[in-house]
Amino acid sequence: MEGQIILLLPIVYPILAGMLVLSGKGLRENGRLASLVTAAALAVQLVFVAAALARGGSLTIWKLTDTISLTLRVDGVSRLFAALTCGVWLLGAVYSVSYLSHEARVSRFCGFYLIVEGALTGLDFSADLITMYVFFEMMTLTSLPLVLHEQSREAVRAGMKYLFYSVAGAFMALFGILFLAGVSSGLAFSGGGILTDAAVSGKEGLFKLAAFCMILGFGVKAGMFPLHGWLPAAHPAAPAPASAVLSGLITKSGVLAIIRVVYFIIGAERLRGSWVQYVWIVLALLTVVMGSMLAYREPLLKKRLAYSTVSQVSYILFGLSLLQPTAFVGALSHIVFHSMIKNALFFIAGAFIVATGKTRVKEIQRLGGALPLTLGCYTIASLALVGIPPASGFVSKWYLAAGALASDTGAFRFIGPAALLVSALLTAGYLLPLTISGFFPGGEPAAGGAAKSGDPSWWMLIPIAVLTACSLFLGCFPGPLLSALESIAASVL
Amino acid sequence: MSIVQNFPFFSIILAMFSGIVSSILPGKRARNVSLIMIAATTALSFAVLCFCIRTGESYTYMMGHFPAPWGNEIRAGVLEGLTASMFGVVMFLSVLGGVNYTASDVERSKLNLFYIMIDLMLSSLLALVYTNDLFTAYVFVEINTIAGCGLIMIRQKRKSMSAAIRYMIMSQLGSGLFLIGLSMLYDVTGHLLMSPARESVARIMAGESYVIPMLVILAVISVGLAIKSGLYPFHYWIPDTYGYATPTASAVLSGLVSKGYIFLLIKIFYRVLGENFVIGSHLINVLYCFGVAGMVMGSVHAIAEKDARRMIAYSSVAQIGYIYMGIGLGTEQGMVAAVFHIFTHSITKALLFISAVGLYEVSGGRTDYHSLRGAAYRNSLAGIGFAVGSLSMVGFPMLSGFISKLLFAASALRCPGKMLPTIIVLAVSTTLNAVYFLRLVITLYSRQQGSEKDPEGEAKERKRPASGKSSWMLRLSILCLIGLNLFLGLMSRPVIQAITDGLAMFD
Amino acid sequence: MTRLLSVNMEATVAVILFGVGFTMLLLHRNLIKKIMGMNIMDTAVYLFLAAKGYIDGRTAPIVVDGIQETSAYINPVPSGLVLTGIVVSVSTTALMLALTKRLYEQYGSLDLDEILILAKEEEEKRT
Repeated sequence: MEGQIILLLPIVYPILAGMLVLSGKGLRENGRLASLVTAAALAVQLVFVAAALARGGSLTIWKLTDTISLTLRVDGVSRLFAALTCGVWLLGAVYSVSYLSHEARVSRFCGFYLIVEGALTGLDFSADLITMYVFFEMMTLTSLPLVLHEQSREAVRAGMKYLFYSVAGAFMALFGILFLAGVSSGLAFSGGGILTDAAVSGKEGLFKLAAFCMILGFGVKAGMFPLHGWLPAAHPAAPAPASAVLSGLITKSGVLAIIRVVYFIIGAERLRGSWVQYVWIVLALLTVVMGSMLAYREPLLKKRLAYSTVSQVSYILFGLSLLQPTAFVGALSHIVFHSMIKNALFFIAGAFIVATGKTRVKEIQRLGGALPLTLGCYTIASLALVGIPPASGFVSKWYLAAGALASDTGAFRFIGPAALLVSALLTAGYLLPLTISGFFPGGEPAAGGAAKSGDPSWWMLIPIAVLTACSLFLGCFPGPLLSALESIAASVL
Repeated sequence: MSIVQNFPFFSIILAMFSGIVSSILPGKRARNVSLIMIAATTALSFAVLCFCIRTGESYTYMMGHFPAPWGNEIRAGVLEGLTASMFGVVMFLSVLGGVNYTASDVERSKLNLFYIMIDLMLSSLLALVYTNDLFTAYVFVEINTIAGCGLIMIRQKRKSMSAAIRYMIMSQLGSGLFLIGLSMLYDVTGHLLMSPARESVARIMAGESYVIPMLVILAVISVGLAIKSGLYPFHYWIPDTYGYATPTASAVLSGLVSKGYIFLLIKIFYRVLGENFVIGSHLINVLYCFGVAGMVMGSVHAIAEKDARRMIAYSSVAQIGYIYMGIGLGTEQGMVAAVFHIFTHSITKALLFISAVGLYEVSGGRTDYHSLRGAAYRNSLAGIGFAVGSLSMVGFPMLSGFISKLLFAASALRCPGKMLPTIIVLAVSTTLNAVYFLRLVITLYSRQQGSEKDPEGEAKERKRPASGKSSWMLRLSILCLIGLNLFLGLMSRPVIQAITDGLAMFD
Repeated sequence: MTRLLSVNMEATVAVILFGVGFTMLLLHRNLIKKIMGMNIMDTAVYLFLAAKGYIDGRTAPIVVDGIQETSAYINPVPSGLVLTGIVVSVSTTALMLALTKRLYEQYGSLDLDEILILAKEEEEKRT
């Protein structure tokens, strides 16, 4: 091993901590203790991540074969993702302390929760394609128990669906990876791409096919049409903290993989104007609109949020597909904002479901009196997602639209922003009814009962409030974040 | 000549001799003799391997007083030493892991017969690895078959008998073809030793005579050995045979026996017929097609199976398909990938069969999915072993299966005509593997649902033991096999280097 | 063509017998007939091998009358191969006959298909 060993720390520590939690006898009976221990462990992890990010550098962990080795490195993209992941994960653990008191086998959930954090940090720090693939598979496998946690029929079926979609997607991506391994001398990430013209010449058709397979394969994790089917199945079946991190961060790992592949290995220039780019744009926009429409018509709250994730993550993919700096910034910023907002929404949804005992939107009505704080946060988060200034969603959507108009993709310059607009309207349509019926409950009483309990406990409320506040704050003062993102964009485009 | 050079001969003789001695020993003694012998021969093979790596070349060893081309010879090089060591290790761990089950499955008075079969099996495997003579190869192929049959039928259950007769019939078909193939080869070249035969073959090819007989010989020998090793569509005997034998036997049969025949086939390709001839004829493509078909169809059948034993056996069919696909690619990298997969599959299949039996034991001896639910909680080490084996089969990174798949895909990329089908089939079969293996792993780790308990299920539950305390030998065996798997997955570089060097000096 | 076949009559007959034996082993349902087929197949190979050892005009490799030149004797090696092969064939036949006897005792039939069906039904009844 050569390099900064500290980079290994935020990867190995949560995995070990997770394994300890899984096997700890005392934690098995006491769920609350398990969640508290997890939250404390993640707080320590936050320190480790900060230290690793501050130190930077790179690390070669192991040489698997002559040409393949596992390497880690810290760059702008890794900083962004690692910090986001750790922060949100910690908030999720705090939320779980109270939420999971309703569940059984909490220690198993918490153990795997920690292990996935380790795998994700590894993914964020990966410096080459094979390392990324290894951590990607690890993450898929270790997040499976989170989906399966409830072990109901629905959960098992959702878990299997998640597994098969992921394995199929990963293998599609592996095809592309192997092709690249064959044509280029190394697979380490480098802004702007590492492929030379000589490497690709003579095999353009195959190269484009490989690139497309990789985008499609990693896009499975990001929920891009046509392989988004696992998302609406997995989210309602998993407990709220799991759905939150699935939507908020695990889908983003697919996005991270696509960013690395397109911008750091293949190079944006090679795909510009090719059929790969256009098909990608079309698929992304299709998902944006389709996801919003399906969310609008979905009666189950968690499934509605799942479709919303499908749609929103494709905003990010659309921004990436334009291969344009402003759009790139928009996409990265939407990664941050959407993670926060969606996590907040899922936490809130969990709170609603616990409070009313109902899962259908029509039945979760008139909550304004009983859970004012929660509903208030819901409203702010929804507005942020729709894209109303000054909330954060507005900033990312603005950049996306501006980037689309400035890009050289023909008709998509206008179709793109138009689709985004339509989706924004639909987003308002599927998110705001809860707010309206909550705060302005005119007319007859709703079908379901009113809330049974008041605002959730502090453990659940604080993460919700923090995430909502961040999504608002970053919208009002986006400067530092945007300049950091712009420097990343400059390094790849 | 250093003493190490005698070791291949010693190891074969030692194995045979211990088989003979075991015939007068009682069961337990025979078992100990067997275990000690396997350990000793593995050590000897390992010494041979080190010697060959140090000298950097293979050597021939005269058996008896007559030199080539009249006498008999064995030949040892890096690849032979490596394969012999690997076979020895897997056999040792398989026998060790299954000791208790063997003792309960086999009648006490006949227990030593089982170990005689194991000894003979090892001796024939070693002979197949080291031999340089075609007819000796035939004789030991037959010994291998008979020992294998003995291992299958030792259980004396009705299903084992019918499995055994099916096995014998298919085996004899293959042997017959192999025998006439080598008789024709002897007729055409006039030699039985492999190296002189090669010179004759080269002269024949240069002279453009006997072209059709050579093609026929190649076809007949390949088909014969392919039938014996269970290439699709000659695989019908595999599920019954591997599924109903005692665990040691299943592990040895699926892990080692078929691999011995494949190794012999590779040896004949390299050392008798020559790669140019083999690749130039289109037999390689036929093997490739069948290998690919086996990969897919084996997995498809496995998905349809409800019985865990037969499912694991069908996955063997798929994995042997992988190996033939690697051979069928016709490149050196393809062959390296195939040989690496031979090692991977031996270790992983032994791990799967041995862990699986630990799981059956805590599920009331039943092997269907429903009974295995939650078995991993009752016997945690077996559950972990099975999970590791399954993940390796699927190709999870860090485990040996991943390196295998990587090698196959990398070698396919260098083979323009077959690249796309290979990659597609690799992807499809990985997904299919994930379906049935991970489905079983999830079943193993899921809890009994409260709502699904019925009165009959409750009664069965009470009959099952509370937790499975497997013997230390089973646990040690599973741990060692997991360790080997990880070793191949993480430290594959020296192994791949050894295989490449070994293949270079193989002819 | 026919001249070649008649000159190499032994080889021709051997190959035909091999085919006959192979087909019997593969296709017949009766176990005893399968074993017979296997024997015919193996014997055919021995015929082939023995024929290949024979050289026209020469005699068996037993030194008589002090004649020591190799040109007076046929190739002795194939005979050795045939002997080995016969031993192998006998052992395999013995094993298969023993198995057949066992199967007959247990299933009451010599028909392989029937035995397999019975075995399968029994397996299904057990689970």
